Amino acid sequence: MDTFETVEVLLDVPLHGTFTYLAPHALPAGTRVQVDFRGRKQCGVLVDGVANPALDPAKIKPLAAIFDELPPLPAALLRLIDFVSAYYHYPKGAALFTALPTALRVAQAARLADRRAWALSAAGLADQPPARQRARLALWQALQDGPQTIHDLRAVSAQAPKVLGQWLEEGKAERAEPPSPELEVADGPPLNAEQQAALAAISDSFGRFQPWLLQGVTGSGKTEVYLHLIACALAAGRQVLVLVPEISLTPQLLQRFADRFPVTPIAALHSSLADGERLQGWVDAWQGRAGIVIGTRLSVFVPLPRLGLIVVDEEHDGSLKQQDGLRYHARDLAVWRAHDAAVPIVLGSATPSLETVANVEAGRYRRLLLTTRAHAAASLPQVRLVDTRLLRLNEGLSEPVLAALAKRLQKREMSLVFINRRGYSPVIACPQCGWTSGCKRCSSKLVLHLLQRVLRCHHCGWEEGVPRVCPDCGNVDIQPLGEGTQRLESAIQRLFPEARVLRIDRDSTRNKDAWDEVYRKVHAGEVDILIGTQMLAKGHDFGALSLVVVLGADGGLYSADFRAGERLFSLLMQVAGRAGRAEHRGEVLVQTQWPEHPLYLSLVAQDFDGFATRELAARREAHFPPAIFQALLRADAHEAHEAEAFLGQFKAEAAPWLGEVALFGPAPATMARLAGRERMQLVFECADRRALHRCLNQALPLLERLGRKAGRSLRWSLDVDPTEM
Amino acid sequence: MQNRLVLTATVEREDVLRYTPAGVPVLEMWLRHQSRQTEAGAERDVICEIQSVMVGEACRAWAGRVAGQELTVSGFLCQRSLRNPRLVLHIESAEFVKG
Repeated sequence: MDTFETVEVLLDVPLHGTFTYLAPHALPAGTRVQVDFRGRKQCGVLVDGVANPALDPAKIKPLAAIFDELPPLPAALLRLIDFVSAYYHYPKGAALFTALPTALRVAQAARLADRRAWALSAAGLADQPPARQRARLALWQALQDGPQTIHDLRAVSAQAPKVLGQWLEEGKAERAEPPSPELEVADGPPLNAEQQAALAAISDSFGRFQPWLLQGVTGSGKTEVYLHLIACALAAGRQVLVLVPEISLTPQLLQRFADRFPVTPIAALHSSLADGERLQGWVDAWQGRAGIVIGTRLSVFVPLPRLGLIVVDEEHDGSLKQQDGLRYHARDLAVWRAHDAAVPIVLGSATPSLETVANVEAGRYRRLLLTTRAHAAASLPQVRLVDTRLLRLNEGLSEPVLAALAKRLQKREMSLVFINRRGYSPVIACPQCGWTSGCKRCSSKLVLHLLQRVLRCHHCGWEEGVPRVCPDCGNVDIQPLGEGTQRLESAIQRLFPEARVLRIDRDSTRNKDAWDEVYRKVHAGEVDILIGTQMLAKGHDFGALSLVVVLGADGGLYSADFRAGERLFSLLMQVAGRAGRAEHRGEVLVQTQWPEHPLYLSLVAQDFDGFATRELAARREAHFPPAIFQALLRADAHEAHEAEAFLGQFKAEAAPWLGEVALFGPAPATMARLAGRERMQLVFECADRRALHRCLNQALPLLERLGRKAGRSLRWSLDVDPTEM
Repeated sequence: MQNRLVLTATVEREDVLRYTPAGVPVLEMWLRHQSRQTEAGAERDVICEIQSVMVGEACRAWAGRVAGQELTVSGFLCQRSLRNPRLVLHIESAEFVKG
């Protein structure tokens, strides 16, 4: 037994550090194992480390199992996790297990279908089956031409799996990696001068770290540039990682990649995959079999041994930031990975995040511009503001908007009415006593969903029936207040009875096949007016939209969040970009009560750079990111005073060593109450990122101590570079 | 607490039947009353208008039939809303005046 040696294991637990176990022989870092941890079977991963010398060797438990069906996890992944854990101040084990696909998080051997081809060994080649064994002979002959897949061999004989299994045992057959097919690239549309310049500049940086911002107006053909770059990387034998927001990872996009690279294995990783499929894609990428990985934020962790290029599309999109657990930003991690692997990274957007713009200004990133639409006939849409202060609204729609819709209907062109609020109306109210439908568990309103006759909280998911009478005063005539997609849909249908109206929001597309139906209808010309939320704004090309109407955008101007303006502007630019993508010149009408607001004036001018310059100056003046760096300490509990006491205590004890870091709060979060819990927060701010992280390193043990002391009701979390306050 | 109004009036305008979010039908109408009444021992002309509303299943039977008709209605009075103190007659029962 003295040949046992200790190993350090990372576990999926919210504790910092590693755990020591005994291994029967030396094992490489990255090996997946099963251990007994506090009486439960847990999956662990071996890492390099030194055992705590204070540990009593007699009490160290042996590893319960070693999983060797897959090679050890690669060093690059463990390096990334080291960085993630240090940067986001998150326990390393928990961070690693966030990065792994579900099938590798459990204490079980991963089950992967062996899709390798079959070939004859030298012994098998020499041993021709006799003619009377017809099936065997047919298989033997089929294998003379080189390795075959089981699928093809089954077509030769239904007995193929049985016979091959037997031959494998006898040493007559062997498994062979299928020869990787020659790269094939289908023809795409020709690139214009700007696209060519971008392609030349970026491909020139292959083989070294260089972040690029590819800033192209909507419809300028950014994806076409990516496809050409990917072709270059694949031709050089490298793998490509493409990160996209959840909402734009559509079958349409995947098809476009598959059409362009017909024989290249593509691993598409998104949340609706079954665990087995996700594992398969992950392992294909890790083993170098997949040439392209396209996925949502979680794919940033996928190991790629031959990584040659990273693309982050719509790099400004909020969905790239994880909002719970390990609160990482996939774009920022992608930049770190590009640096680690010494490869270029392309951040693409029509409206880049101000963080990225600031990085360009500081010379860390280089910017490439695409200023014209790729489709030669398409020009940028004309944006007009409709001042609703002076106009009577009919169901929330102004006269100019109704006239524009009627005109498109007459010309048989498709229009889009955008309102970023699903449901029938955002609240119901009693006009007699002033009661409104508040959520009992959150500081938000219950939204009326008229078709299902329910009130629903869009924050915590609470659902209840619509009350027959006002719960406060008994009045029957309670009324919906404000517009949502459902109300707009019925209003427009009433105002234009002959129009074919299609509503697209999270409720109408919940069904898996709903998108196929939407595309079929839109492309068959069976829709006159589309009504939808931001689902329509991002990533979907509906071809001949000639009019886009934006309703209810002003809400974004009133928000307390300093990023609200940036988000509103980029959303409106995206929505406006839906207009006039094909041969129609698009028109965009925005209903607003603030027609002289600078944000809207930049929108009319389609001037992102002007907006960004002004907004960045304002952020610098107000000491907001990206001019400074932030971290957010959130605490929630059943009672507000518990959360406040925890944060207050932390602030008091941290005061002596804060240095240049400023603490603001404790203050209630924007959503002060969510799902029955009171939320408070404390903001860390510092102009020096490293000083901020030194402070957080020091803060962590204190937080853990105070958290343990505070009792069960309290939960806390740390969010580095928060995007939602 | 007493709150009762009985009125014979002509329906000046009838709105389209609408429904509350819970699916209860609501019929709004404007009533115009004209009569002779005695005041301080002398007869005089009385003219008034009042907004009124019928709520509940019963109003389905009246919808689309009352515009221009003379009705005798009874119900209670309530202000229009929190911010608008104008009186609205909430009709509980109504019948056509046989003319």
